[in-house]
Amino acid sequence: MRLARDSYLLTMRTIRESLRNPALLGGNVFIPLFFFFVNLGVFKNIAATGFGVTDYAGFALPAAILQAVSNASAGQGLVQDMQRGYFDKLALTAAPRPALILGRMGADVTMAIVLSALIIGVGMIAGARIESGIAGALLLLLMSGVFALVYGAMGVALALRTGSPQMVQLSFLLFFPLLFLSPAFAPKEVFTGWLEFLATINPVTYVMEGMRSLVLTGWDGAALWKAAAAMGGLGLFTFTMTALAYRHRSL
Amino acid sequence: MLAIHAQALVRTFPPDIRAVDGIDLAIEAGRVFGFLGQNGSGKTTTVRMLTTLLRPTSGAAFVDGLDVTKQGAAIRQRIGVALQEAGLDDVQTGRELLTLQGRLFGMGAGEAKARAAELLRVVDLEFSADRRVGTYSGGMKRRLDLAAALVHRPSIVFLDEPTTGLDPISRDAIWRYVQRLNQEEGLTVFLTTQYLEEADRLAHEVAIMDSGKIVAQGSPAELKGALGADVVTVRPEGGEAARTRAAEILRNLGGVEEVRQDGEAVRVYIREGARAIPRVVLLLDEAGIALADVQHSQPTLDDVFLRTTGHHIEPGVAAPAGVKK
Repeated sequence: MRLARDSYLLTMRTIRESLRNPALLGGNVFIPLFFFFVNLGVFKNIAATGFGVTDYAGFALPAAILQAVSNASAGQGLVQDMQRGYFDKLALTAAPRPALILGRMGADVTMAIVLSALIIGVGMIAGARIESGIAGALLLLLMSGVFALVYGAMGVALALRTGSPQMVQLSFLLFFPLLFLSPAFAPKEVFTGWLEFLATINPVTYVMEGMRSLVLTGWDGAALWKAAAAMGGLGLFTFTMTALAYRHRSL
Repeated sequence: MLAIHAQALVRTFPPDIRAVDGIDLAIEAGRVFGFLGQNGSGKTTTVRMLTTLLRPTSGAAFVDGLDVTKQGAAIRQRIGVALQEAGLDDVQTGRELLTLQGRLFGMGAGEAKARAAELLRVVDLEFSADRRVGTYSGGMKRRLDLAAALVHRPSIVFLDEPTTGLDPISRDAIWRYVQRLNQEEGLTVFLTTQYLEEADRLAHEVAIMDSGKIVAQGSPAELKGALGADVVTVRPEGGEAARTRAAEILRNLGGVEEVRQDGEAVRVYIREGARAIPRVVLLLDEAGIALADVQHSQPTLDDVFLRTTGHHIEPGVAAPAGVKK
């Protein structure tokens, strides 16, 4: 009860902090949308003939969402608080200590859902249709939130373990290839051999294909289960890392 | 009732640094306890252990009767802490920061807001309350940090070098708040400082920390009294040679405990110093040493520090040697 309440209070504090940093917030919205429109410009005309995708706006939507979600900044925020000494200040309150971390992650999830809603809205204006309807769109938002949590945990683990902003940046370096070694711009069937292999073993591929199925095909159980399994696996890894790092910090 | 009690408290850091090397503390409730030492002497490490931010390597510590290793949450509800380098969030306003602090100590929204407003008045920040903390001066940040430590009405406050780096006016303001908290509200105050004057003015009891160990402990008066001597300071004319000769001569004077050359001056620790002045002046006059100045004073905590650690305390300067096993 206390954990939920205090995590919520700290989530609201983090959201307030983000809203007061309009440059960062603007960048988080602008960059995924920029890539979305550039890709649309490059591939829209050849997508149908080149790899059989007629709704390229819909096809590109999940990639834009995942790119936006990858700005999950819980780790960065934690490191910043540690360096300012504010983390200690919060650790000295009566709040349960996991709330300090969950508050940051809660803000990531909230921001991910808001950004995804915005991107879906813009995507629809650009011509994308969500075949699975409103329920599918809501599931898309939920998936983006869960992905923010799972992915953000990596940065949190690095923050708790090292307390170094540079190391936390590494989590972005880790994700960046994962995002692009996936069928972000074209189906993996058209990839050359090595890239197809990497895309096949990349969990982000299945998350993206699951999200994409909601946009392009409707309700495809198999694709959604694979997406859930991929997120579960990734989450198991990142949350184990976070738990170990938390114990290391021995708060 | 002991507010803070520690026995053989040790904290080591890899590879083999004993930052706190077996200290004992027994601090009565309602007292101001001054913890004196240079940078790196182990003061902050001790505070971090007592405030549940750092696990002791060995030994035991109790705050308000609660074990720091097992009852952290209960301790945190009872203590207020302002750490060195006021740890604040620049993006929140002062009012938001204090309100959040109150909420995290379990207050409802209305209560937290009211308490924040009350404290902002107490620390003279009500007119800056709705500005972001990033725009505050160093002194304002310290006052806000102090207010943040008091939000939940703790019975014990830990202030880790609350005035380091502040100008004299801001320092005086912090001193007045600390005195008010102790005298009017009966709070126990654990204060670490590098300023002897601060400890002398505020603390009922003082411990001197050097290289991870407590080397002297008692009330400022006791510690000064334990020196058993007054201080007669003479300033011979004629440079280094005259000072060295003056020191040699004065060492043979009856009742002298110690003579130290200290910059331009020669400090003589001597029993019944006031009565000894004529003999000091006469002896030096006979030796042909002219004096620019003669002073008699009671020993200060600086004298105590010098006698117990062998060096002066210099704020901002790290302790002479790292402590190795």
